[in-house]
Amino acid sequence: MKVRRSATIAVATAMTMLAVAACSSSETPTDTKTSGAGAAAGQKGGDLRIYATEPAFLLPTAGDDMPSINVIRQLYRGLVKYNAETGEAEMDLAESIESSDQKNWTVKLKTGYTFENGEPVNADAFIRAWNYAAYSPNAQNNAYFMSRIAGIDEMSSSDPDGDGPKEAPEPKAKELSGLKKVSDTEFTVELKDPFAGFPVTMGYSGFFPMADACLKDTKACNETPIGNGPYKIEGAWEHNVGITLVRSDTWKGDANDAMADKLSYRIFADDNAGYAAYQAGEIDVMEAVPSARYKEAKAQYGDTLFEAPGDTFTYVGLPLYRDEFKDKRVRQALALSIDRQPIIDAVFDGRFTAATGFVSPTFDGFRPDVCQYCKADPAKAKQLLDEAGGWKGDKLVLWGNAGVGHEKWLQAVGDQIKAALGIDYEIRVNLQFPEYLATADAKKFTGPFRLGWGPDYPVIETYLKPLYGTGGSSNNSTYTNPEFDKLITEGDSAASVEEAIAKYQAAEDILGEDMPVIPMWFGKVAALYSTNVDKFVFNKISDVEYGKITLKQK
Amino acid sequence: MGRYVIRRVLQFIPTVLGTMFLLHYLTSLGIQLTGNPVRALFGDRTPTPAMMAALSERLNLNDPCLTQTGNPCIGLFGERLVNIAQWDFGISLTGQREVTDIIGAALPYTIRIALIGFVFEAFVGILAGVLAGLRSGGFLDYFVKISTTLIIAVPIFVLGIVIREFVAVKFGNQLRADPNFPEIISRGFLAAGYKPDYPWASLFIPGLVLGATSLAVTARLTRTSMVENVRADYVRTARAKGLMPRRITGVHTLRNSLIPVVTSLGVDLGVLMGGAVVTETIFNVPGIGRVAAQSARTGDASVVIGIVTLAALIFLVANLLVDILYAVLDPRIRYE
Repeated sequence: MKVRRSATIAVATAMTMLAVAACSSSETPTDTKTSGAGAAAGQKGGDLRIYATEPAFLLPTAGDDMPSINVIRQLYRGLVKYNAETGEAEMDLAESIESSDQKNWTVKLKTGYTFENGEPVNADAFIRAWNYAAYSPNAQNNAYFMSRIAGIDEMSSSDPDGDGPKEAPEPKAKELSGLKKVSDTEFTVELKDPFAGFPVTMGYSGFFPMADACLKDTKACNETPIGNGPYKIEGAWEHNVGITLVRSDTWKGDANDAMADKLSYRIFADDNAGYAAYQAGEIDVMEAVPSARYKEAKAQYGDTLFEAPGDTFTYVGLPLYRDEFKDKRVRQALALSIDRQPIIDAVFDGRFTAATGFVSPTFDGFRPDVCQYCKADPAKAKQLLDEAGGWKGDKLVLWGNAGVGHEKWLQAVGDQIKAALGIDYEIRVNLQFPEYLATADAKKFTGPFRLGWGPDYPVIETYLKPLYGTGGSSNNSTYTNPEFDKLITEGDSAASVEEAIAKYQAAEDILGEDMPVIPMWFGKVAALYSTNVDKFVFNKISDVEYGKITLKQK
Repeated sequence: MGRYVIRRVLQFIPTVLGTMFLLHYLTSLGIQLTGNPVRALFGDRTPTPAMMAALSERLNLNDPCLTQTGNPCIGLFGERLVNIAQWDFGISLTGQREVTDIIGAALPYTIRIALIGFVFEAFVGILAGVLAGLRSGGFLDYFVKISTTLIIAVPIFVLGIVIREFVAVKFGNQLRADPNFPEIISRGFLAAGYKPDYPWASLFIPGLVLGATSLAVTARLTRTSMVENVRADYVRTARAKGLMPRRITGVHTLRNSLIPVVTSLGVDLGVLMGGAVVTETIFNVPGIGRVAAQSARTGDASVVIGIVTLAALIFLVANLLVDILYAVLDPRIRYE
């Protein structure tokens, strides 16, 4: 990937008003090597106190939520990492990941890396972790990410009669046929279909290796992880209270990956309580500013509030399985009636970036204004609707899940559509999240529906194929276009990531015309840090780099 | 006495069973009405049917009755009872931890904060009540009456947030800015919530907030009781005998005034131990109240059932202890 944005590093300039609770280190930096251009190495040492919520798991194969990944990334390392400034994928534990046909990949590993218990990080460490994740009876959340590897279908089984009395049969295989060990430092991966972005995806924590001792007792390993990363756990995971990591002495990688002596994650159940702790000087980094306190935080802590565009995507899906949405001019008209920025400003205090396309602005391959119908133009909207023969449905039903305030912005959307096209609308926000998602899965929405998406890996394909590909895993609009599918397949098997991106962009252009969904906005990252922090490091792909943050030394 | 206790303990069984059935029915109905909570774990990423099936089975959410609205799921309840009899309360939805582990880890925090709250409400509450009762109509009496009314009138979530924002954060920051101020106060007692570095000190303010409402009730109850008993015949007799005023108040008046107060305190102890959902959330105390609130929000049926069953048990035991205490306070009460 190319460098597109300069370093996202902010330096605290405000005076230290709150004393550091406990940190003092006589250690001087002996290694001033930096991982990326322009990053000045601060001093090592100190205790970085981090706002966290309770992770679901600390097992790389199971943790797929942000709280889990934030900790796992410091405990474990994988084949690839993302550059802290550019987001570009770089080899971490891998020496090389190469392929001639984008389908059969050869992974060569660097030597000398070990787990905390002394086990070597070799080919087996990766193969055993991926097999464990893929085997469906293990019910590991990251099984999803193994779906490109050949042999995945034999690793999962489904109940023959749904929820009926019959038990699901044992899967046919216990190991992925696509993974083959060549030597301790080399293994091959065969994919089901070619995918040029394969090496880039390897930086996701679901692909991190696991020690044999860890898999022998996954429950114990979840409580006291046996990692291979720059930090190791001190004691055990104190559920709902905190997790303390200290610098690992077995880490052979970049020494600047572990700047603070200690990472203390304090677990909160409520972000307002966390914000109070931040205000009281008990927290050094808080990544989730409570939405109700955002304006106040910006006014009061503007100097130490880090903001950057984020990658979470909110869209209004259109049920293409219903007749009234089949004409693309109707969909274009609906999209043209919406003016995003006033909604973002009025309802969300400006905490989102209006979408002008289908992929995140932080991604390599992003282009502004891909979606020509994502700008408000009521006159053109009306004209398009008239060309399509007017609105054929009944009242437009806008769907959202209950209890999280979606009705506020959906109402604004409804009002704008009504003003532009004269279509009456009603809002349905009575379904709780599980049932709402089940309704999406069953394609039972009767009108436009709110849904979101977050990227799985830093290739723009992650925003395209799962959502709009024929039979895509989260294609809730049931959009299908052979031309689009063809471009995605061509992109997947392109010789390089650059060529692949060109194909993906062409596919995105098709979406910009067909409008299977109405893109609404992308999230913004807002992270508060304290005046103890010397240098705050944010990675646009893998989020806050807690290990790279330096503290002011006293 | 022994037989009375045994009879009471036997009465626990139908009460706990009833509670558990009600909880089971309500949580099952919740799942029937809002869908399989496993689906929500995956969010926008549609899981494969194999994944849904594997996880639903592991979490015991694959019973077909959970898709039939209104079905009481008697079979599932029976299964649950058999498991619970073997001390298996199931596993949590997020994180798949044993519910017994979750409760075991959270209980010490709840006990600590409940203890602080209870000592505060009992000690200060009774003291305030006695002082007000002895000087009925005086300044102190009005002070206690007005201040307790105010405390009762303010909901606990308002009180908690106001104290957190103004006392712990704003006032605390003033003290923390002064390096000479003892840290145990500025960073311990005035922490913005529970802090692992100060396991007792940082629970002090949350404990006070937790005990505040009950303190007001205790003070008013004690006061009323005292006012009544101060005029009682036996107190007049004691005074006429020439007993020390301290003895008259302590042994004759107060002891007899405590019966309604003990009832209220005993019930309170059960409530406090059952987890303070609001206070623990506001002050980030990792006790069972905070866990219960979180689990209710995510639809984590096993955890909710485990915690509420435990709370019901604690409540029953506390009530039993109160009833036994009556006999100690008033020799006229006999349990045969």
